[in-house]
This record gives sequence, C-alpha cells and structure tokens, in this order.
Amino acid sequence: MKQTWTLKDIKGGFYILPAMFILVMFLVIPLGLTIYYSFYRLDYLIKGNFVGLGHYKMLLTSPKILRSLGATVLVTIAATGISMILGLVLALWIDRKTGIFSYLIELIGLVPWVISMVVAGLLWKWLFNGDMGLLNGILKMLGFSPIYVVQGKQSAIIALIFVMAWRTIGYAMIMILAGLKGVDGGLIEAAKIDGASPWQSLIWIKLPLIKTQVLLSTIVLTVSNFTNNTIPKVLTSGGPNDATNVITLQQYNMSFRYYQFGESSALSVLIMLVTTLMIIAYMKVSKYKI
Amino acid sequence: MKNGTYLPKIKSHLSEVFILIIFAIVNLIPIFWGVITSLKTQSDITAYPPKIWNFELYFGHYKRVISSGFFQCVLNSAFYSVAAIFLGVITGYLAAYGFSRRNFPFKKLCFYFIVVGIPLSSGSSVLLIPNYLHMMKMGLHNHWYTLILLYTTYNLPMTIWLLIAGIRAVPQELEEAAIMDGCSQFYIVTRLIPPLIKPSIAAASLFVFIGSWNEYITSSVMINDTSLKNIQMAIYDYLGFFGQEWGPLTAAATLAIIPIVFVFTFLGKQLVSGLTAGAVKG
Repeated sequence: MKQTWTLKDIKGGFYILPAMFILVMFLVIPLGLTIYYSFYRLDYLIKGNFVGLGHYKMLLTSPKILRSLGATVLVTIAATGISMILGLVLALWIDRKTGIFSYLIELIGLVPWVISMVVAGLLWKWLFNGDMGLLNGILKMLGFSPIYVVQGKQSAIIALIFVMAWRTIGYAMIMILAGLKGVDGGLIEAAKIDGASPWQSLIWIKLPLIKTQVLLSTIVLTVSNFTNNTIPKVLTSGGPNDATNVITLQQYNMSFRYYQFGESSALSVLIMLVTTLMIIAYMKVSKYKI
Repeated sequence: MKNGTYLPKIKSHLSEVFILIIFAIVNLIPIFWGVITSLKTQSDITAYPPKIWNFELYFGHYKRVISSGFFQCVLNSAFYSVAAIFLGVITGYLAAYGFSRRNFPFKKLCFYFIVVGIPLSSGSSVLLIPNYLHMMKMGLHNHWYTLILLYTTYNLPMTIWLLIAGIRAVPQELEEAAIMDGCSQFYIVTRLIPPLIKPSIAAASLFVFIGSWNEYITSSVMINDTSLKNIQMAIYDYLGFFGQEWGPLTAAATLAIIPIVFVFTFLGKQLVSGLTAGAVKG
C-alpha cells in the first residue's frame, strides 16, 4: 500500500524531532559505539587491536563471569517472584476497597520504590549491622544469637533478595490493582450466582483477566532487578567472597577498577541482549498501538 | 438487620487495620530507624538495648553533614532535576503531540522505538558503559550539563508515553473549533492544550524528578568535580568517609528523603495514575 504524504504530514514530523534527536544522540549512538568497541581491546580507553569475538569467548568461558551470572539469575528470579506473589496477594486483598484505606496502602507501598536505592541500601545496611544494628538488637533481646548478615555467604544473598523484593512489592501491587479495577464487577457477581466459590472466581475469572498486567510487571521488574547494581554495591559491595557479585557489578568493576573497557563493552552487549529479549516479550504482551 | 452487619464490619475493619500496620512497619522501618538514629548522640546509637524513644535529641550529625559541603550537592541535584524536567517535558510534550495528532513518515517505527526505550531506560545501568564511552569520546563528561542530558534521555520515553495518554483524552473537535475561531497552530500547541493536560504533565514531571534525584550509578562515573557532585554521590561517598559513623550517614540519608517524601505526599495520586497508565495499553 502506498501512502502519499501531504505537507502537513511532513511538518507534523517536526514535532518529534527534538525528542528523537536527544534519544538518538544519547541512546542509539552510545549503544552502537559499545557494540563496535566490544570487538576491540580498549584498556584504559586506548583503542587497541581488533579481537573479533575474543572478548565474548573469554566472558562466556570465564568461571568467574558464569558464577556471577548464576548469582544474578538467582537473585533476579527470587526477588521478582517474591515481589509479584506478595504484590498479587495484597492487590487481591485490598481490591474493591476504596477510600482512605486503599489510598494509604498504595502510598505506603510506593515509598520503598520512590526513595533512592543508595538511601534504601544504606538504611538496610544499618539495620543489618552486626553489632549495633536494630535486627541484632531485637534478636538479642528475644534471646537469639546475632546474625552477621553481610558477612555470611548465604545470609548476604538472602539480604540482597529481601531488599530488592522489598523495594518493588508496592510497585507490583499497584500494577496488579490497576488491572483488577478493569475487571467487570458484574462478571464476579454472575459467577457467584452460578455458585462459584471465591477461589474459583479468582482462578477462572480474575487471574485470566489480569494476566497482561501480571506479565508486564513481571517483565519490568525482571529487567530492573537484573540490571540493578546500586543496591548490591551499597548493601554488600559484591561480598563476601563474590557471593553477591552480580553481573552488573562485575561489569562496573571491570570498567572502573581494572579499566578493561573492551571486555566490559562485550559484557554490556550481552546484558543488553538479555534485556532486549525481555523487551520483545514486553511488546508482544502489551500489544502497543499508535 | 443492623446488628447482624455491625459485628463482621468491625471485625473486617480490625483485620484491615492490622494488615495496614504490618505493611507500614515493613515498608517504613528502615526510614523510621534511620531518622531516629540521625537524632541520637553517638553513645545512644551504640547503646544496647536499642533506644527507640528514651534518647536525648541531638542535631550534631546534621550540623556536621551540612558543614561538610552537603548543601552544594543538594543544590546541584535540584538544578539537575529541574533542568531535566524542563527539557524532558517540553521535548516530550512536542513529541507526544506529534504522535497523537499527526501522521508522518516512519511514525510507527519511531513510536516502537519510544516503547522499547521505556524498560531500557528503567535500568540505567544497561546504558552505563555505552554512555560513559560515548561521553568520554565526545568530551561531554564532567560538565554542568552532563547529567541533565543523560537524565532527560533516561526519562524521555516514559514522559512521551504519559503525555500521549493525556493528549489523546483531549477531544480533537476542540482543536478544530479553535482553528475555525482563527487560532493559530502555535496558540493551540502552546496555550490551548497544556492547561488541559495538567495531570499528565504533573505525572511526567514527577517521574523525571524521582528518576533524576535518585540516580547514582551514572553520576558516579560521569562526574569527578566535587563542585558538580549530586546528592546520591555525596551519600555514597559518606559511606567511605564516615565509615561506621551511622549518625552522619543516616542524617544525610534523611535529608535526601525529605524532598521526595514532600513531593510524593502532594502528588502521590498522580504518581499512582501515571504508573498504571504506563502499563495499561492505551
């Protein structure tokens, strides 16, 4: 189908030019540049030899990187899963409640999401502090032995998952609530009259209707947790013994501690590939139209 | 009848209040404890059992933080955020107008590009290395405008998305009537539409503000000058500088949260509606 453009149409395109200019300048070109550099040596930002897929081969066979990737996947899946499940439970519970109560829950739920990750990480680190932290203070008062959270391998991972999930439960809840508000109340009423139990109407009516919302927020949270490096950096700094050295922290250290920018460019491209897959899923699910 | 409904109602209210309290405690305890710690003397901070109310009010940590140049960083952050809001909302508004009211070549492609940008920019650490390499190459790092440009970029896709939803809700007939009355296109874009989409503009500004005020990782690699540091960098640096001194650390954290809580209390509704507008298909 051939379309003819009028002068007004062409002029209409000018409206989006400033925004597109900014996005091309600071999003597209940098991404292209990174793909280009991932094929070269770039130690201390000095361009060296062409190495082809050398960096990629090195990354995908390095036990350190693979272990870090494993930790990242574990943390991402656990944190996203916990957020989504608790978010869903809370949303179903406060659904159809109106007024100050639901508004308060929405506001309180979003507080962890609106404060900065540096501040959130720091405040939790203080609560988890070995000798003076509130957690151990309470544990001691109750007669338990204190937990040195960020010093233990397992406890550090659990703490990281906990803080990441804590940050996004409210977000998940609000996204799912928005979906539930779109569910026709008459449908639930009709099911009730037909003798459906609350569980049945939840599983066969509500859940299928909010499927899109649940999927979308799962994808957004997965991307956000997978690429989160601020919380691990502040909370555990990747320790102990690299147990919480997630992939984006690895990438950060590669660049700004060892100055191997070729390698870190390749790692960026790999992270970008994973993110892109998520985004394709996001667009498939959301069926965006203009 | 009345007696029959009265009791269960109270019971369900009680369970509501109970869950609300648990939820509030889990969500707010780090902030609550941080604020309390920041108001204690050093000896009260390390006291066991932890003192929750019976401590002596002490503002020394705040004085110490403020006298160590913290305010410069607060001002920098405010400047970066406000500039990013202006740049982002103005360019975003124009783009949103184009997308919702005009037809032009490659419109679909450009729009998909915007949609892809929403989750991509939500994790700015994906763009950390790309932006760093690019800004270094162009010599754009470590300037007063560096972070403004990047924060605008990170938040622009979401801004455009929110404003498209707003503009679409304005009936097209209104514009047609205005043109019949002899209004210019310029008048329509600059005067007629903006007041009608105030909630969307507020939501978009709020997103840009939160994104810019809270961003840490990009600024930490882009900025070296102490005079250009933003508030999150300052707090992170205190972690190394004050080490285990949790008084000044929590005082700095509290100061960083205040503006966010302030804005959030007044515009919370816009934030919630903006968030959900971003996910529900238009």
